[in-house]
Amino acid sequence: MPIGDSIPFVGIRWDDLLFVMLAATLLVSALLVVTLRDIIRCGLSLTVSFASLAGIYVMLGNPLIAATQVLVYIGAISVLILFAIMLTQTKNAPSKLVFQTQVLVAAVAAVFIGGVIIATILTTTWPSGGQRLWTATADVAHLLFHDYVLPFEAVSVLLTAAVVGGVYLARREIGKNEGDKP
Amino acid sequence: MSNSLDSYLVLSALLFAVGSFGFLARRNAISMLMSIELMINAVNLTIVAFGAFVEPLKTHAAVIALIVIAVAAAEATVGLAIIIAIYRNKKTPLVDEYDAMSQ
Amino acid sequence: MNFLIPLIPLLPLAGFALTGLLGRGMGRESHRIAVWAVVASWIVAMIVVVGALTHSLGFGPGGFGVTLWNWIPATGFDAEMGFYVDALTACLLIVVTTIGMLVHIYSIGYMAHDDGKWRFFAYLNLFMFSMLVLVLADNLLLVFAGWELVGLSSYLLIGFWFPRRSAAEAAKKAFLVNRVGDMGFALGIMAVWTQLGTLNLQQVFAKIATVPHEWQIAIALLIFCGAVGKSAQFPLHVWLPDAMEGPTPVSALIHAATMVNAGVYLVARCNPIFGTAPEVMAIVAAIGIFTAILAASIAFTQTDIKRVLAYSTLSQLGYMFAALGVGAWTAAIFHLMSHGFFKGLLFLGSGSVIHSVDGEQDMRKMGGLAKKIPITYATMLIGSVAIAGVPPLAGFFSKDEILGGAFKNGFLWVWGIGFVVAGMTAFYMFRLMGMTFWGESRVDPEKEHHIHESPRTMTRPLVLLAIPAVFLGMVIGFPPESGLLHQWLAPIFEHTIAASGRTEAAYTFFGIDGALAVVTTALVAGAIVVAWRLFGVNIPALGLNAEPRLDRVREISKQPAMAALYRGSSHKWWFDDLNNLLFVVWGGKLAAAVFWFDRTIIDGTVNGIGTVTTGAGTALRRVQTGRVQNYALGIAFGLIAMAVGYILIAVR
Repeated sequence: MPIGDSIPFVGIRWDDLLFVMLAATLLVSALLVVTLRDIIRCGLSLTVSFASLAGIYVMLGNPLIAATQVLVYIGAISVLILFAIMLTQTKNAPSKLVFQTQVLVAAVAAVFIGGVIIATILTTTWPSGGQRLWTATADVAHLLFHDYVLPFEAVSVLLTAAVVGGVYLARREIGKNEGDKP
Repeated sequence: MSNSLDSYLVLSALLFAVGSFGFLARRNAISMLMSIELMINAVNLTIVAFGAFVEPLKTHAAVIALIVIAVAAAEATVGLAIIIAIYRNKKTPLVDEYDAMSQ
Repeated sequence: MNFLIPLIPLLPLAGFALTGLLGRGMGRESHRIAVWAVVASWIVAMIVVVGALTHSLGFGPGGFGVTLWNWIPATGFDAEMGFYVDALTACLLIVVTTIGMLVHIYSIGYMAHDDGKWRFFAYLNLFMFSMLVLVLADNLLLVFAGWELVGLSSYLLIGFWFPRRSAAEAAKKAFLVNRVGDMGFALGIMAVWTQLGTLNLQQVFAKIATVPHEWQIAIALLIFCGAVGKSAQFPLHVWLPDAMEGPTPVSALIHAATMVNAGVYLVARCNPIFGTAPEVMAIVAAIGIFTAILAASIAFTQTDIKRVLAYSTLSQLGYMFAALGVGAWTAAIFHLMSHGFFKGLLFLGSGSVIHSVDGEQDMRKMGGLAKKIPITYATMLIGSVAIAGVPPLAGFFSKDEILGGAFKNGFLWVWGIGFVVAGMTAFYMFRLMGMTFWGESRVDPEKEHHIHESPRTMTRPLVLLAIPAVFLGMVIGFPPESGLLHQWLAPIFEHTIAASGRTEAAYTFFGIDGALAVVTTALVAGAIVVAWRLFGVNIPALGLNAEPRLDRVREISKQPAMAALYRGSSHKWWFDDLNNLLFVVWGGKLAAAVFWFDRTIIDGTVNGIGTVTTGAGTALRRVQTGRVQNYALGIAFGLIAMAVGYILIAVR
């Protein structure tokens, strides 16, 4: 049974409700990322924010990007971050101080940044159509491998370099730790 | 609300502000990196939002967003590798301690 | 004549250059070039003098001008290197070259044992060159150049024995005090230039009447300033006694016969300028006669034989300026010439005395030298008689003309003071003679055995100088006021004398002039007798014999009034102490204050800028924390700033 456009009796459109919920999740989890003391919890709430972001991408008619977001961000980057947290854990409990000494200044700066961008956004008339459009994957593929093939190849080189660099940077010194094989 | 470009852009601006606050205020280096990821995601959201509302940009936005994700992944890799390397040297992930270049 | 006139100063210049370059290697013979240069210059000068005074050899009634080249060819300012010779120049040339030559010959003997002999003769030649340039110059700028060069040579010669501290300081003092006068002279030259547009002397004299009266007074006063410095009048007289630190030939040449006469020559040469400003002439007379009595009073108590002569020079120079001031121009030049000869004689004689007692200059340690150094004694006696003004020697004629001129031109106060000074002069000169030559010998016993007459190179000039000391007055000054000198110099001074409205009354021997002469001679005779009674005399030829009574002198000087005068006189009336207090002590404090200001405030400011810079650098260093988060904050702020900036620009 097709549901109507808006919630009965309340008059709020379903789209808006979905948007608000996803936006709220995103913002709350983002705030948790930057304010929680325990860093593993930060990592997990980062994962939650990635997920809500994927949902928003779907709302914006781009399931391809949503899928890529889930695969890459949640599947690879979050895992990577959690591994790094594990590797750099100190023996002590999470330190008492969460923020640095410049936290207040940083807050002011962040508010300023946000304020400036929002002011710019609200005062500009965007050439928007007013309707969310649906992006076809075939078109994306066509564009990717015809007009954007150079950035595509460059990104593949970049990923290779990143992998090599990451492996090199993070490896242990030969012979420094006992019982290690090079 | 969900049909207006402005709301998505405002959302992304807020996300960017949160990310920059975290980047400037957290002590742990990995927290800073997580905040960077937040900021990159905010930018990505902006790109996709534009692609959804502005007809000529539809597919271009998707391609650009894809590439941004790939680059972000590479950057996260290398950044974490560096943090792990520094952790090996300094034994602490807190950026307060990384002041070898101070005067 | 075009060739001969520039030759006069050029010969000593060449002598200076050659002796300076080659003298050191010539050793004992280093004087030859210098002496021959001056002798040659004397010969040429005498030829020129004969021509100038007798209007022959190319000279006309006016002067003879020689322009060598255009020295400073600037638009709006012209100065030439030129010489001008007329009768006044000729009179000066006689004095300068003759005494210069005799001093050079004297120095051969006096400096025979000095290692720096070559330097001495080089400086002497430099001095001759400078003085001749000064005398021969035809424009004020060249006079000033010669003026300064003379001052420099004086400095070099006074401080000749510079390892001795007092000599070095005396040279410095002479130069600095001269400088004060030279500043006035320079300002006067500038005034002449701005008012008249030319520095050529003859042109200046032609146009001086067109200048406003205040400017005439100013120019005359400033030129007189220079003369005060160079001729050591009050208040710039303090350098001359100290200048006796130099060797005696230097004292004879520079400080008796030539350099100090430069001031008198300048005023006489500029007589048209002074003629337009009678007020300044009164000042000249006042300063001159005041210096005369001041110096004479100090000479009473000095014990160094050269100091007595130095103060005597000051006193006689005062006479000359007094003569210039009252309008007796020719009398001043006459006194200049006769004084040059007998003061030169007296100085060279004193040098001979010092040489004979092995360097002792204190008269209290001399005495009874008459029989041991006869030639020196005889010539010095002649010199003393001449300076005292006993007729018929030169001093009588010249001094009498001055006093007569003062009286007849209405300056009775000048005459009165000059009259007293004549008596004082006779007294202190015979005090000198008594303490040096007569009475018991108070010489150091060790030196007594060595007392000997000086070598011929030193005694010949003495004899040669004694001749004009005796005869000059009679030759050129007699009959008084119409003799040869007056005939020669009349054309130079007649315009000024006519302009002042006074006519030179004829000399009446049985009238006022004769009376004045008799009165003066009587005073002089009386003073000489008093001096004999106190300090002794022994002239067998005239049957004069009296024992010195120095104890009586002490009694007199202990009486209350005399004691105060004695103390003042022996302290040179505390002028040196006054100068010391004003300039050395207070000037030193002022200099210290300015030094403090310079060091603390000015240097402090400059160093402060450096300190501020380094401080700012140190403070700004703290931005470089090395911490990434601080840098990130910086980036964030930069981002905000740029964004806001863009928005503001876009909104406008």
